[in-house]
Amino acid sequence: MPEIRNYTLNFGPAHPAAHGVLRLVLEMDGEVIQRADPHVGLLHRATEKLAESKPYNQSIGYMDRLDYVSMMCNEHSYVLAMEKLLGVECPERAQYIRVMFAEITRILNHLLWIGAHALDVGAMTMFLYAFREREDLMDAYEAVSGARLHATYFRPGGVARDLPDTMPQYETSKWHNKREVSRLNENRQGSLLDFLEDFTNRFPKYIDEYETLLSDNRIWKQRTVDIGIVTPERAMALGFTGPMLRGSGVEWDLRKKQPYEVYDRMDFDIPVGTNGDCYDRYLIRIEEFRQSNRIIKQCIKWLRENDGPVILQDHKVSPPSREGMKADMESLIHHFKLFTEGFCLPKGEAYAATEHPKGEFGIYLVSDGANKPYRMKIRPPSFVHISAMDEMTRGHMLADVVAIIGTQDIVFGDVDR
Amino acid sequence: MMKKIAHLIKSFMLWELLKGLAVTLRYLFSRKLTVQYPEERAPMSPRFRGLHAQRRYANGEERCIACKLCEAVCPALAITIDVAERADGSRRTTRYDIDLFKCIYCGFCEEACPVDAIVETHIYEYHFEEKGTQIMTKDKLLAIGDKYETEIAANKAADAKYR
Amino acid sequence: MTEELVTITVDGQELKAPKGAMLISVTDKENIRVPRFCYHEKLSVAANCRMCLVEVEKAPKPLPACATPIMEGMVVHTRSAKAKAAQKAIMEFLLINHPLDCPICDQGGECELQDMAMAYGQDVSQYSEGKRVVLDKSIGPLIATELTRCIHCTRCVRFGEEIAGVREMGMTNRGERARIATFMNQAVTSELSGNVIDLCPVGALTAKPSRFAARAWEMIQHASVAPHDCVGSNVFVHVLRHDVIRVVPRDNEAINEVWISDRDRFSYEGIHSEERLTTPMVKHNGEWKRTDWDTAMGVVSDKIKAMLEDDAIGVDKIAALVSPNSTLEELYLAQKLMRSMGSGNIDHRLRQSDFSDQNSVPVMPWLGQDIEDLENLNAALLIGSNVRKDQPMISHRLRKAVVNNGAQISFINPRTYEFNFPVASNISVAQQRLVNELALIAAAAYKASKNAMAPHLKNILTGLKPTVEHKAIISQLKTAEKSTVLMGNLASMHPNSSVLRALAEAIAIETGSVLGYLSEGANAAGAWLAGAVPHRGVAGESENIVQGYHAGEINNQSPAAVILLNVEPELDSVHAMKNTLAQADMVVAITAFDSPTLRETANVLLPAATFTETSGTFVNIEGAWQSFKGVCPPQGDARPAWKILRVLANLLDQKDFDYMSSEDVRNELRSQCESIVLSNTTVADASIEMNPAGDELMRSGDVPMYAGDALLRRATSLQKTSDADTFCLRVNSAEAARLGVMGSDSVSVTQEGLSALMNLVIDNSVPDGSAWIPMAIKGNEQLGNAFAAIKVEKV
Repeated sequence: MPEIRNYTLNFGPAHPAAHGVLRLVLEMDGEVIQRADPHVGLLHRATEKLAESKPYNQSIGYMDRLDYVSMMCNEHSYVLAMEKLLGVECPERAQYIRVMFAEITRILNHLLWIGAHALDVGAMTMFLYAFREREDLMDAYEAVSGARLHATYFRPGGVARDLPDTMPQYETSKWHNKREVSRLNENRQGSLLDFLEDFTNRFPKYIDEYETLLSDNRIWKQRTVDIGIVTPERAMALGFTGPMLRGSGVEWDLRKKQPYEVYDRMDFDIPVGTNGDCYDRYLIRIEEFRQSNRIIKQCIKWLRENDGPVILQDHKVSPPSREGMKADMESLIHHFKLFTEGFCLPKGEAYAATEHPKGEFGIYLVSDGANKPYRMKIRPPSFVHISAMDEMTRGHMLADVVAIIGTQDIVFGDVDR
Repeated sequence: MMKKIAHLIKSFMLWELLKGLAVTLRYLFSRKLTVQYPEERAPMSPRFRGLHAQRRYANGEERCIACKLCEAVCPALAITIDVAERADGSRRTTRYDIDLFKCIYCGFCEEACPVDAIVETHIYEYHFEEKGTQIMTKDKLLAIGDKYETEIAANKAADAKYR
Repeated sequence: MTEELVTITVDGQELKAPKGAMLISVTDKENIRVPRFCYHEKLSVAANCRMCLVEVEKAPKPLPACATPIMEGMVVHTRSAKAKAAQKAIMEFLLINHPLDCPICDQGGECELQDMAMAYGQDVSQYSEGKRVVLDKSIGPLIATELTRCIHCTRCVRFGEEIAGVREMGMTNRGERARIATFMNQAVTSELSGNVIDLCPVGALTAKPSRFAARAWEMIQHASVAPHDCVGSNVFVHVLRHDVIRVVPRDNEAINEVWISDRDRFSYEGIHSEERLTTPMVKHNGEWKRTDWDTAMGVVSDKIKAMLEDDAIGVDKIAALVSPNSTLEELYLAQKLMRSMGSGNIDHRLRQSDFSDQNSVPVMPWLGQDIEDLENLNAALLIGSNVRKDQPMISHRLRKAVVNNGAQISFINPRTYEFNFPVASNISVAQQRLVNELALIAAAAYKASKNAMAPHLKNILTGLKPTVEHKAIISQLKTAEKSTVLMGNLASMHPNSSVLRALAEAIAIETGSVLGYLSEGANAAGAWLAGAVPHRGVAGESENIVQGYHAGEINNQSPAAVILLNVEPELDSVHAMKNTLAQADMVVAITAFDSPTLRETANVLLPAATFTETSGTFVNIEGAWQSFKGVCPPQGDARPAWKILRVLANLLDQKDFDYMSSEDVRNELRSQCESIVLSNTTVADASIEMNPAGDELMRSGDVPMYAGDALLRRATSLQKTSDADTFCLRVNSAEAARLGVMGSDSVSVTQEGLSALMNLVIDNSVPDGSAWIPMAIKGNEQLGNAFAAIKVEKV
């Protein structure tokens, strides 16, 4: 009788469903996974070590590049950690702007997730639709920060600049005449807030469309229902956070449980799953679209009604205005010193975590009183989730690995840091 | 019971698939969103952070005074500056290099510049064919600045009140 | 004497400190930070910036911590609301007239004003009126001024008065019109002037040679040791990428306190000189070719090997002339190589011409005391020393002794030098009469002590009649609690230096003073220890070593092969060596710099590293071994000289040259030097003769401050200062009248068959019978021995 041996299969790191550079070593018994061994580190950039070598404010840009589909949410934890150590709170308007953009980022992240997840599982159209909506949100990113992805917009003490009053507009070309362009520019006539409001009004309809395409779809359900079930106990034990934890039926959301900024003033709900399978996690993220949309609407309303500074007016931490810098000595000195040495954080340590689209994203800072961190530790959600890969895939078919990678919503910038 | 029957019928008629196809069919006949790049472009914010440029004053004098704030604030250490005293005694750069492979386009150089010399323009279409050409030298940066000065000035003016 | 301690409370902390101490010095000791601009621990209290205002309980207004003596039970708050408000107000006041210069100011990033504004000031200005502008003045080639930035702390003014000893800068006018200026807009000429750059809390005074070159935050700071005088000042070298940008002092209370001389500060400019030798060069058929190390070293080793094997030449014909500015490791390897080949012809005393007492001199020239002790002196006699220019940091200590203790310091020199402290007597006689003059002082010493004259001096001292001045010097030395007799650079160069030394020793013994030496170059002491002298080996060993010819003899022996280590023969030697070298078959110059004379005389040029590019050790005049590391890569193909010598020894098949690092070399030498006990008492020598001074005009001279070594001669900014001498002839007006020449005449100087044309300068600091021609500067190669009789004719 011939010896039966398990077959070892390399999945990735250049597989289109590997979401970047995941390398899985799969031990297969026929088409059934016996063991999945994720190999990580191919995108390691030593962000934590890098941060130790530069002034605090210079690392903001590197936060964008951790989970590079939820840029501002990464920044959020980092600036909150700094503010915690500094013992400052940023102006109210800045808090609203940050919350609004954190939710925009959540939608951005989930849009990419739903597009990629559906594409991996076999639904092409979702990807196109999701990217259509992403376009509007990235325009919003660009309007405030000047970059569509790596925003570097949140700053200790607030945000870099206030929301713009105008939106850039399409111009006529040989493809689009004046009438068509004016239709394209319809929602760009007012301020960024008007533009976003228009989006929030349209977006629920789009979510319905996604649901029409996926929620009842038999193929989708066959590929996700009862796949990768995680019990609430295991989910807690594995350190899951975010939709991964809520999908297993644990009601845990930092925005509710440990509200930061102005989340305690927001009216929104936390969806939880029942089965803890891929389908439940899908439904939760779909619901988060709607809840985020609600939060954005509330922020827009508040921001319309209330004006004020968007960054701390203490120039020992935040740079003075450019006008001031060119006109008076104190401002110039503070500008000079902040852009060369940066500011010093008092001796101590702080941990700040936010409800990131993927789960709990925490920054742990240790300061020895200098202008750069003594140590910075990043607590990324993806890294925790990928470590459950073996447990979630064991006993499933090879094709289900793709669904599970998709449902975990891992991004390698986040895993490898 | 009725529900189950309805579900069975729907299931056999591929109801949910048809519903989905209806959505895609509707989009097949709706107005297209596609932007025909490169003949036309998506709108761009005046805050956009693209390729760098160095500006001059109206009288043709370069703005940069070699204060090295941008070099100091650059998180990626992409900027390298050498300074020397010019014949008229003013402080000027003899070398101003930005390594675009290192640059992370965070915009800090522009924020740091006390004389609005280094700016990030709206240019995002550029490529390099030879090793070494990714280094933007002072001459290249000034040439870009000279070419697009009107646009740069307009963008900076549009955003001035927020900074 | 015990000081009375009082207890004060600062920010809730109880402190004990001597009564009457200034509050700021107490808080500084306890690391309680009080902001300040004008206060400096080494300068007097001015209390004119008011930045250090603190709240003192029971005082109606905040008091300046720098000018408030502490009293029992004082309760001080440095960070109370009242103190903070006062500090903030002062900060605002100081910034009112400060220009918006940070981006173009060299001080930006290391500016005390910026730091204080960040820490104690407010973040936005309320002042929108016009600002004051002060026109700039050029105050010399070393210090750049931007006086609009001045905040009138007067640190520079006080430095000039109290430390440098010359009141060159001052503050004129009052209130808004107050400004710092030099008298009549003259240049600042003090040899310590560079220290005001460090003192200036703002960017009003910055270093001209490194103007705009780099920002404080991008330079890397390396500890090093200054390579120009026997003090061995501790310095930091600031390096940007691979270039030395500037040199600043490194605090060492025992050696240089917090200061360094301009020479140590700005000499780094020579490193980047265009004359740097960057590749090995070989002369082939009279033509110089650049080549690689293997070829050049091959040429040298083949030639020397051939000579060693050739019986007609022999090892006696191989010599090495080394510079006392070389590191200990270089000197040790050079002598080890020479002695291992069997030749003792090695010498570093290139500027010495009297070697007659070389067997009885101490193991190394030693100050006889610690540098720090000098400031406790009550009296001193310096023989042949322009200490202010030759060893500025020694001069600074002597000045402290004069200012603080009222010390009586006298000089006997071949020229009337100016000092930056009051001098008890400043005797100057022509170089040929220096011995006679010192003999008079020695005679006075014996008279005062009533001891019998030492037998070897009897010959020259009997019958001398010292004057009142000579007696006064002796009585000062004798009555002083602490006194010293120091032999300076000019004394060791003097053609009768052995006699001067014998007399100095006698004076020291008879007056109970400490005898000390000030030596030339950075490492003369190290050269003696390393055995870079012909008659003694490592650590002064005179038995069982290969003896050889000294620098003067080598010159007369027409050697076949000469190794030059960091030496420019026409400038670094008092002997006219050009012909000797030109006749040698093989001259190898290990040198950092290319020069026309080297090209003319040498056969192979090997590029060596300068002090920032090599690791090494200097032994200073108090016997401290100070090691330093290379802080930047050598320029071009240059290599540290110790490596060159090591490889040369390997190629010549010499044993025990397997050093991996300069530390290995140093440790080997160190282990042999452990048993040395420094002492300046020597064995009394045979009877000393003295030739009566003739009436002819004798040439005399010293090494100008910025001409001492090859690096200095290429430090461009230093060469623009007034201390950089030119090649000219100085005589006093009486002598000029005798010669029938007038100032600014062009004259022809003839000596030993050589002659040169130069300008005449009437200078009454030169004594009668003396014609002063500075050494070590360009032009000297035309003439011979620096102390010969000369003839001057009007052209």
